Amino acid sequence: MVTTAIFQRHWRLPAAMLVLLVAVVVGASIGPAGPPAWRVPLELINRLPLISFDSGVTSTEWNLIWQIRMPRVVLAGLVGAMLSTAGAAYQGVFRNPLIDPYLLGVAAGAGLGATIVFTVNRAGTSSWIVDPLPLTAFVGGLGAVALTYLVGTAFGANRSSATLVLAGVAVTSLATALQTFILQRNTDVVRQVYSWILGRLSSATWSDVRLVIPYVILSLGALLIHRRLLDVLRVGDDEAKALGVNVDRVRLIVVLAATLGTAAVVAVSGLIGFVGIIVPHAVRLVAGASYRVVLPVSLVAGAAFLILADIPGRILDNPAETPIGVVTAFLGAPFFLLILRTRQVAE
Amino acid sequence: MSKKKLLIALGVLGSLGLVACGDNKEVAPNAQISGTSCSELSGDMGSGNDLKIISLSPTATEMVYAIGAGEQVIGVDNMSNYPEAAGGAESKLSGFEPNVEAIAGMEPDVVLISYDPGDLEVQLEGLGIDTWTGYAAMTLDESYTQLAELGALTGHESGAATVIECMKTAISAITETVQEMQADDDAASYYYELDDTYYSVTSNTFVGQLMSSLGLVSIADGVAEGNDYPQLNIETIVSSDPDYIFLADTICCAQTAETVAARPGWSEMTAVVENRIVELDDDIASRWGPRVVDLLTTVANAISSN
Amino acid sequence: MTSLKIKSLSVKYGRHEAVRDFEENVRPGEWLCLIGPNGAGKSSVLRAIVGLAPHTGSVTIDDTPVKSRSVRRRAQLVAYVPQVPLLPDSMTVHEYVLLGRNPYVVGFSNESREDFMMVEEVLRRLDLVGYSRRELSSLSGGERQRVVIARALAQEAPLLLLDEPTSALDIGHQQQALELVDRMRREHGLTVVSAMHDLTLAGLYSDRLSLMHQGVVAASGPAESVLKAETLAEFYGVSATVHTDGDGTVVVIPKRSDTARGS
Repeated sequence: MVTTAIFQRHWRLPAAMLVLLVAVVVGASIGPAGPPAWRVPLELINRLPLISFDSGVTSTEWNLIWQIRMPRVVLAGLVGAMLSTAGAAYQGVFRNPLIDPYLLGVAAGAGLGATIVFTVNRAGTSSWIVDPLPLTAFVGGLGAVALTYLVGTAFGANRSSATLVLAGVAVTSLATALQTFILQRNTDVVRQVYSWILGRLSSATWSDVRLVIPYVILSLGALLIHRRLLDVLRVGDDEAKALGVNVDRVRLIVVLAATLGTAAVVAVSGLIGFVGIIVPHAVRLVAGASYRVVLPVSLVAGAAFLILADIPGRILDNPAETPIGVVTAFLGAPFFLLILRTRQVAE
Repeated sequence: MSKKKLLIALGVLGSLGLVACGDNKEVAPNAQISGTSCSELSGDMGSGNDLKIISLSPTATEMVYAIGAGEQVIGVDNMSNYPEAAGGAESKLSGFEPNVEAIAGMEPDVVLISYDPGDLEVQLEGLGIDTWTGYAAMTLDESYTQLAELGALTGHESGAATVIECMKTAISAITETVQEMQADDDAASYYYELDDTYYSVTSNTFVGQLMSSLGLVSIADGVAEGNDYPQLNIETIVSSDPDYIFLADTICCAQTAETVAARPGWSEMTAVVENRIVELDDDIASRWGPRVVDLLTTVANAISSN
Repeated sequence: MTSLKIKSLSVKYGRHEAVRDFEENVRPGEWLCLIGPNGAGKSSVLRAIVGLAPHTGSVTIDDTPVKSRSVRRRAQLVAYVPQVPLLPDSMTVHEYVLLGRNPYVVGFSNESREDFMMVEEVLRRLDLVGYSRRELSSLSGGERQRVVIARALAQEAPLLLLDEPTSALDIGHQQQALELVDRMRREHGLTVVSAMHDLTLAGLYSDRLSLMHQGVVAASGPAESVLKAETLAEFYGVSATVHTDGDGTVVVIPKRSDTARGS
């Protein structure tokens, strides 16, 4: 690949990191309110230890940036990193480049969980110390994938990935059907449920960040240490086994880790489509297909991508929001067609 | 009907000379607009006819009961929670996904809907059942028209006239009172919260127009035309620093003045500091029936007490 | 040098019995070639040895049952080249051959210096150094076959299983590939078990042939004793002349049927 030569092997990750840093600063600087954008980077430097000067940002303005804008930037980064890495990992473990992290039913399960909380007694949970909504969505997401695995391995002759994918489709349909059924009996919450599903990066708080960060770190760590084995899996289950890989165990762990992280971010941010497909693909175009590179670079690039993709939603239609899922789909669909054109999608 | 014709506003007259909307907290906020209700009037509401009615629209249900045609109602949808006598709480009918067979089985003469989710009207017509549609009103006049239509439909013309008169009188009393209080003040701004993901309304909406009549301006008014129920950016909400926050999500999303004050970055907002967060009943705030008066009363009281 | 003992090996896929009571004793350094018509069970035997096919009976490498070994340890002992290897398009030759070192990578660490040196050496021996940065999709059939064998060699396993290693190649590359395997087996003392369709080549390169038919061994021994016209007629349903060259090479020549010739 010609493009590969541009990025020397060890330059890819630092380059992605640099892009991420820029994305964070830009994300923190641009918004419909607050100080002029150019003052924010100065203030960020001012906030570093041992540095002190007057950036012209008032404490009220800083409050707005730190309390409202920054959690949104950080959460977008976490969600983007998680969805991109999970997407790349799922694609590796199922040897199918068109798979996205929602495939095995995480999203539908989480949606079902959230629907149940909304219908049972949303008002009654307001006094609880811990909001049960993300928790239930999380459990719903994990439960759906567990069911997928159970069904897939029970009927699949030897846990082939195709059976698992089909089981995922079935479980997704089942969860969606259940959700629709429940919603029909509780039409008063329809709007809230859809608003939840559409994504809520716009209302991110530091407590959302705190809620997901342990899962995201655990999940990303588990996925990253499997990146070499994902390369071995590229030659197929049989040959990977003959090369000494415990394929079933690796697949189980990778799916479990990717699901854990995905369920966590879905629980706080709703569904954000396309990220899990377009970021790994863009990374493959620039940095090659080896998972040793694709996984860490997708992590960093995915974070940068979603932080940047969140910016237009904030300012395009001020004072209104444009949902992030709309922005990613808007960017994602043409990009996807471009990939189809420039590259054979089949591995 | 004249006896019901209103205690409104008398209470508030005492506070007329006081400065209203502002930062003078020392001004005793004892002004109260005594609530009136146009949803539970009695008196000569007309004799009615023997039309059997099913209502799949909560607002239509409220209207039909208010004009005295409640006895003709043989069924309502599960969202028709007011008045209690309508029995919406136990109902299995859905206005979103109406079951035509279940409706036909109850043998109504007419079905009231607020919109047709599919081919309901056509299907019912095939079964010899009439349909009356009262779309979500864009103006108060549309509300009055719907009341009058229902009055004609049910034979409760005088009941409808009574309710319309009640509403008009009450609303003009409220708006006049409020306008006098804030005569020389700049228009106060408000953020109207539909749910906890910050969906709101512009002044073009039904609710927005009610607010305008009280001299209030929505902070959402800058959005692109046509987007009258926009999702607002939190930064915008906080930095616009509206004078009032109206919560129309106290039931759906369990929001209260306390939860709003606890939101990160909101604590310094004027409406939070000065305790100008008004908790509304989600249902009253989203319907265009006689209880519009109740909504206005709540909002007017909040304004006059500040 | 490694020996392979197989006792009463049976392979079943559901109700279908692909191999029944297969017995074999492969001496260290020997090249055993499994022949037989399609569906005779050759591939199943190879897949059972490497642990990919569900089987009963015992497979013993150097007197230790394969089943008692971990997947990783087994991969250090047995290298397997399937009939149609899956070659990821965008993987480079170097990356692909490096996969052969997987059984030696401990835990979640990366390949060691020794692993990289081993790959370099294999690439050099197989004249693939110039190809190391090429993507697999850009290789010709012969080059692909060499790369696959390179990966198997990088695995440093004393037992090499080849399933139809030449089926996709023209006659020149068939010879090249088999010469390569033969050279490697002599230089490294490998024990080789292969399944092959070309009877002449099978007889030419292997030490011994095992003719399988419907899951059972029908005949076993050196080429001249197995490749007989009447045996081939019985098990392949083919009419062929078997001719022995002056140097002892057994050549199988299919005959055109008389009816076909007449028409």
